[in-house]
Amino acid sequence: MTAHGNILCSHCSLPVGLRPMERRLNGEDCGFCCYGCCIAFQVKSGRQEEWEAAWLLIQLGVGGFLSMNIMMFSLLLYSDAFTGADAGVLPWIHLLLWIFATPAVVILGGPYLRDMWLNGIQGRVTSSALIVLGVAAAYLYSAFAVFEGSTHVYFDSAVMVLMLFTVGRYLEAVGRARAARDLEPLLAAESERATVVDGAAEIRRPVRDVTAGTLVQVRPGERIPVDGVVIEGESNADEAVITGESRQVPKGAGCTVIAGSINIDGPLLIQSSGDGTATRWAQICRSVREALSRRSPTQRLADRVVGVSVPLVLTLGALTFVYWAQSLPFDRALLIGLSVLVVACPCAVGLAAPMATSLGIGRLARQGCLVRDPGVLETLAQVRLVAFDKTGTLTASEARLVGIDRDEASVDDVLSRAAGLERHSEHGLARAIAAAAAQRGIAPLATSNVRAIPGRGVRGSANGEPMAAGSMRLMDDLGWSLPAALAQRARARAASGHSVVYVGWGGRVHAVLSLDDSPLAEAETTIAALRECGLDVALLTGDLKPAAKRIATMVGIKAVQAGLSPEAKRAALDRLRHDHGLVAMVGDGLNDGPVLAAADVGIAVGSATDLARETAALVLPVDGLWLLPWAVDVARAVRRTILTNLMWAFGYNFVALTAAAFGLLQPILAAAVMAGSSILVVLNSLRLERLPDHVPAPIPEQQRSGAEAERARHDAGISAMAGLEIERS
Amino acid sequence: MTYYLVIFAAGFAGSFHCIGMCGGFACALGRDQRGGGATVLRHLLYNTGRLTTYCFLGGLAGALGQVICTTQGSIAAPLLSGSLDIAQRILAIGAGLLMIAMALQFFGLLQVFHRLAIGFGGSTVAMSLRSLLTARSSAAPLAFGVFNGFLPCPLVYAFAAQAASTAGALPGVLVMASFGLGTFPAMLMMGGVGRILGPDWRRRGVRLAGGFILLLGLITLGRGLLPSDAHIGYAWLGGHPT
Repeated sequence: MTAHGNILCSHCSLPVGLRPMERRLNGEDCGFCCYGCCIAFQVKSGRQEEWEAAWLLIQLGVGGFLSMNIMMFSLLLYSDAFTGADAGVLPWIHLLLWIFATPAVVILGGPYLRDMWLNGIQGRVTSSALIVLGVAAAYLYSAFAVFEGSTHVYFDSAVMVLMLFTVGRYLEAVGRARAARDLEPLLAAESERATVVDGAAEIRRPVRDVTAGTLVQVRPGERIPVDGVVIEGESNADEAVITGESRQVPKGAGCTVIAGSINIDGPLLIQSSGDGTATRWAQICRSVREALSRRSPTQRLADRVVGVSVPLVLTLGALTFVYWAQSLPFDRALLIGLSVLVVACPCAVGLAAPMATSLGIGRLARQGCLVRDPGVLETLAQVRLVAFDKTGTLTASEARLVGIDRDEASVDDVLSRAAGLERHSEHGLARAIAAAAAQRGIAPLATSNVRAIPGRGVRGSANGEPMAAGSMRLMDDLGWSLPAALAQRARARAASGHSVVYVGWGGRVHAVLSLDDSPLAEAETTIAALRECGLDVALLTGDLKPAAKRIATMVGIKAVQAGLSPEAKRAALDRLRHDHGLVAMVGDGLNDGPVLAAADVGIAVGSATDLARETAALVLPVDGLWLLPWAVDVARAVRRTILTNLMWAFGYNFVALTAAAFGLLQPILAAAVMAGSSILVVLNSLRLERLPDHVPAPIPEQQRSGAEAERARHDAGISAMAGLEIERS
Repeated sequence: MTYYLVIFAAGFAGSFHCIGMCGGFACALGRDQRGGGATVLRHLLYNTGRLTTYCFLGGLAGALGQVICTTQGSIAAPLLSGSLDIAQRILAIGAGLLMIAMALQFFGLLQVFHRLAIGFGGSTVAMSLRSLLTARSSAAPLAFGVFNGFLPCPLVYAFAAQAASTAGALPGVLVMASFGLGTFPAMLMMGGVGRILGPDWRRRGVRLAGGFILLLGLITLGRGLLPSDAHIGYAWLGGHPT
């Protein structure tokens, strides 16, 4: 006996044999003796979930039962099983076929008839009409033939055409369900219910009834329905849906939780911090739903083509029939006409774009990238140039220490004193100085009598000696002198767009600290990745030229336009569009709203509200700049999929139509060809599911190394400047 | 007639495999709340659906065999009776080998076909079938039976291969119908009484079914390989009805 000899199949309890199928299902390791058992096990033990395609499946099953009987007898007829002595049973077989065909036509054809009727009363002719007409002709002719006692009936054609189209429709539904599964956690916000704790009672209420301050209980495995603060309990949360963060985040009392994240392993009592409908999750949900309900320009065009083509095909079908009826028997000509109607059915065209776009929107949304409508994806795919705003987009909005000019003091001494004062202040510049000291491992000097002077700086004393850090006015107030060389350096720094902090002690100014915003860690890799995608990159900013140039060089942008007013930015964008083609603008949404709206694709980082205001067409999550190249990849993949789908669907229809008109295609074969075309379009679209993700592991790694490099450069910058000063002083 | 009886017996023995694999479905269909009659109807519908699929597959396989044989120029010779042409021999060899492979699989010796069947999107199939089991409609058991028949099952493959080797739509249908009817009693019983047979008994049944399939496979293979006048087991089976 081998090692596997004693293992029994999880489903049928027979030994699994030498090489069992091993799967992990519902968190348990299962071994199966065969594939059938594996499926059977999943069917039997899986969660009971409502499935939209269930009714379609019943329809398909019953239709399959009837049509298989019809096909079986037709096969027997075709293989001449009833010849000679058995010829007498032929009329009875035909009658039997009719009996089977009637319910099949009613069950399978019903939806098409309804669709034709509903569109017909609105004066539209859709592709359903083609199917209904074709099938009705074959069915009625065959029924007539049964009465006549004719030798040929075509019930099999009528039923199989319907069957194959229904199979196509079913697979389409499966594809849609799969696409929707991607979006399900995002769309759940509207229907979500929260367990509200009211005294001792726990009541399930819709999320929209939850207001600020409400206590909500969340069990392990449940989705956290509202934004809020943990009052009680310990757990981990999976916030991937909202933030794109794939790591689990530990949550304890006092931690904030985000609606839409999943509470993994412990019960949490949460105090809601706002209305249930005001969460980012609900916002995402609304915008995704809205995006899905819109149609892209390509799809609108395809729909229009379909609308025009249906009457044309009807005419063509009629002409084909009339033409062939002159040379062939009536029933043969009818079949050829039927083939034309069936094969021209443009179902695949209608499928081409919506599946691909909804999959794309779902993919982006799962990473927190929201899209206003499907057309945005198609435009983004064609963009030739990406223009960036500087502050808050390419740079952190927080300042960083970038230079120290000193006079008779060491860098460590200056930083230690400055940090000693500034750590008592909440000012942005103060935080940057304290952070820079901490980064270099310099302990802040112990200071006493620290006083913040609003708008000027901080003063205090250390070792009995007064110290101050702040603006020139603070130094003037104190009457401290500023060495001429230092004053000149300070003016130069200020002129190039830096913020300047003077540090003094012992009655004079000893150093000038220069601060500026510096590029985000991921900015450089993002720009490089965009270039790799073949995109041009430009920087449009309202900042001063030197500051813009410096940042641009650091992140690797060559085209820089600085000192632009919002109007000038729009004009610059127009020029870029004229020179390059479609232009995307990346900004922070707040200040750049009008410019974003003017771009072909406005991309905002971190503010979903812009989506609602229609200023931004694509919103990246907070700190999500690095997702931009990936978003472009997804958009391009979606566009490619739509184009190949359309090309395939139209090309296929055209070739098959020609073949059918020349009488080369049997109706059943024509239906199989059409169903095959739909299936191919669905499969081609579902390939988007397999698009590589934003590579969760390597990029943070890169980011980290990028951040380290940045830090190293930053340190080097300080010491380089310090070194320069040593020579000067 | 004996030929079909052998297949019926093989189907009956094979239904011990079915009890393991599909018996769960029959149990899951369970009892109808509207009483015993409705329950029987439910299970009859389920098994009828299954049988229809088998017959359809048999007819299709048989017709395929016929097409292969007739495209070789000659009109399909009355099966198993006269001399066999090249195409029929190749078909018989192919079908025979397939059946032997399936039989070996039943003895746990060959597992190739499992790998082949994997990758058809099992989770989607499972999801769809699950939705049928829980559906309220009284037509659902019929639909479920129809799809059940299409589930990849070594028994069905083996007998479909046998049906193809008959090279005729009618004998193809009859082969699969005999097989399907053979599985009828056990499966119908399953719905009523649930799991009564222990794994040991079922294992014996599966071995028996494997033996039948191996025998049929060897005979089919022999038909392809041996000279026409030396068809072993042919006389024993009483010849093939035409």
